[in-house]
Amino acid sequence: MSGIAELKLESENVATIFISGIWNVYEKHPSAEQFIEQISSKSSLQKIDLKFFDLKVWDSVLINFLIHILNFCESKNLTVNTNDIPIGIRRLIELSKTSPVRNMSSTRQKKSTTLEFIGQIGLLIFLSLKNSFGFMGKLCWEIVSFARGKAKIRSQEFAVVLQDVGVKALPIVSLISFLVGLIIAFVSVLQLSQFGANIYVADLVGISMMREMGCIMTGIIMAGRTGAAFAATIGTMMVNDEIDALQTAGFSSINFLVLPRVIALVWMMPLLCVFSSFIGILGGLCVAIFSTNLTIVQYCTRTASAICLNDFFVGIIKSCFFGFLVAAIGCQKGLQCKRSAEDVGLTTTTSVVTSITAIIIADAIFAVIFSMFGV
Amino acid sequence: MVPKISVKNLDMSYDNYVVMRDLSFDVQQGEIFLIIGQSGCGKSTLLKYLLGLKRVSRQKIFYDGKDINSVINGSHFYGKKIGVLYQGGALWSSMTLAENVALPLETYTPLDKKEIEEIVALKLSLVGLKGFENFYPSQISGGMQKRAGLARAIALDPEILFFDEPSAGLDSVSAKRLDDLILELKESLGITVVIVTHDLASIFAIGTRAVYLDVESKTITATGSPHELLATSNDKNVIAFLSRGTKNS
Repeated sequence: MSGIAELKLESENVATIFISGIWNVYEKHPSAEQFIEQISSKSSLQKIDLKFFDLKVWDSVLINFLIHILNFCESKNLTVNTNDIPIGIRRLIELSKTSPVRNMSSTRQKKSTTLEFIGQIGLLIFLSLKNSFGFMGKLCWEIVSFARGKAKIRSQEFAVVLQDVGVKALPIVSLISFLVGLIIAFVSVLQLSQFGANIYVADLVGISMMREMGCIMTGIIMAGRTGAAFAATIGTMMVNDEIDALQTAGFSSINFLVLPRVIALVWMMPLLCVFSSFIGILGGLCVAIFSTNLTIVQYCTRTASAICLNDFFVGIIKSCFFGFLVAAIGCQKGLQCKRSAEDVGLTTTTSVVTSITAIIIADAIFAVIFSMFGV
Repeated sequence: MVPKISVKNLDMSYDNYVVMRDLSFDVQQGEIFLIIGQSGCGKSTLLKYLLGLKRVSRQKIFYDGKDINSVINGSHFYGKKIGVLYQGGALWSSMTLAENVALPLETYTPLDKKEIEEIVALKLSLVGLKGFENFYPSQISGGMQKRAGLARAIALDPEILFFDEPSAGLDSVSAKRLDDLILELKESLGITVVIVTHDLASIFAIGTRAVYLDVESKTITATGSPHELLATSNDKNVIAFLSRGTKNS
């Protein structure tokens, strides 16, 4: 049995609405809009009686229906006899009406025009850049203070971060670097074997791992692993008022949270980059000895002669910078986190995307600079 | 006598929306001052202004007669001058309870390690957490985290203690115990206490004076002791807010 509502005309000016049946969220019931249309069609109506009989079950569906009818009648100055409304329903309707309306403007933005939209985007980019440069400025100042011995970091915290970003990252860095070396070698062997120049596989793998792939892959892994962890940790601290607690205890969040992470990552990234490069070369070696007639000695000798000190230092310099970018962006995004769990997730995602984009852009800039100087 | 804290014609906004306007009140030395009002009226936002976590223009908030903007840059405003207990305790999750309490002591005092350990044990025992020194915040209950947060807030025996909804999330026994502790700290240390709350039992049990932030008129509509407000206020919102407490208590 579903919910039933019937409009019956008693006279030209008076009608009765009979309500019966089961009115809950699981059963069918007449829609308030359709019923209001029925009432509207009787233009001569002046009074409506509400009658309830055989009402078995009701819940908020009936309350909602009645509120719509009552509001409509009120707007049309129709008199409604509500005496028959069951006491429970009547109380809930009255409660919904007496609930105070806060004098707050809606936080939902009104739809903006194209010009406003472009302006908002421009403003957003400007503010974002301003915040980023402001943060980087403060961070650089703290690094200088640290270098001059004026700022201190907690050694215990630093040791934990160092372990997290260094030793604990080795397995994933090893796996990815080995596979990258493997892929470069495979592609190279396919092409070079056509010219009988298999020996140059060692050159290609060695130079690309040392100069580019080692630091880029490590940077990307650290952005997804460590940068995201920084953003999530600091974001959660923001949600839990821990950052406010730091400030009201007189500690600078940059000094306390950001500096140890940035220093740890800048310190560990070159080591991870060198490690990644060697593992990548090892991956190339595996392909070379199994799919060509090269020996281990030939491959190693060729690699040693192909890589020069410049390649090594290019990788090191870039990895330091990428480490700085990943740590700084992760921490900055964490500190910008608002106070909800959803924002922590958003912050983490933004941190990873921004870090990877920044790494690629920085690598392109480095490529131009190094080529200008002939490095 | 110069008030401990003085707020003059302060307008508060949140995300460009005006939350409260023209707030003015004084907090005297040694009193337990309550900021009360319905949920969402801006009590916690006001606390942020008082703590200097939200920027405020000059000549709006004063500590001992000095503008907050000049005071917060002083070396000992945070830590020595004020202590704060946040709603959830806000303990630093990477540190043990002892480390949480010890950090301000290590940073701001020349005390040696042994003495710091003793003070930490003392503060934790004051809040009933003796023996929990080496626990991490995640290993203890919400109520215990709050008490540990209080131990950290009083680590440096601050002049003013701020509490943000101290009894939120606590059972009535724990809330009563925290109220007693606040009273004890106020009596024994002579500190000034500012509490943001809407817990009626606490309001009547410990409050010396209160301001009521009215969500409809967006300003302070009543000031006085909680009992006085209930007895004499003509404001229907104040009466409605406070009268439930008398029925319950």
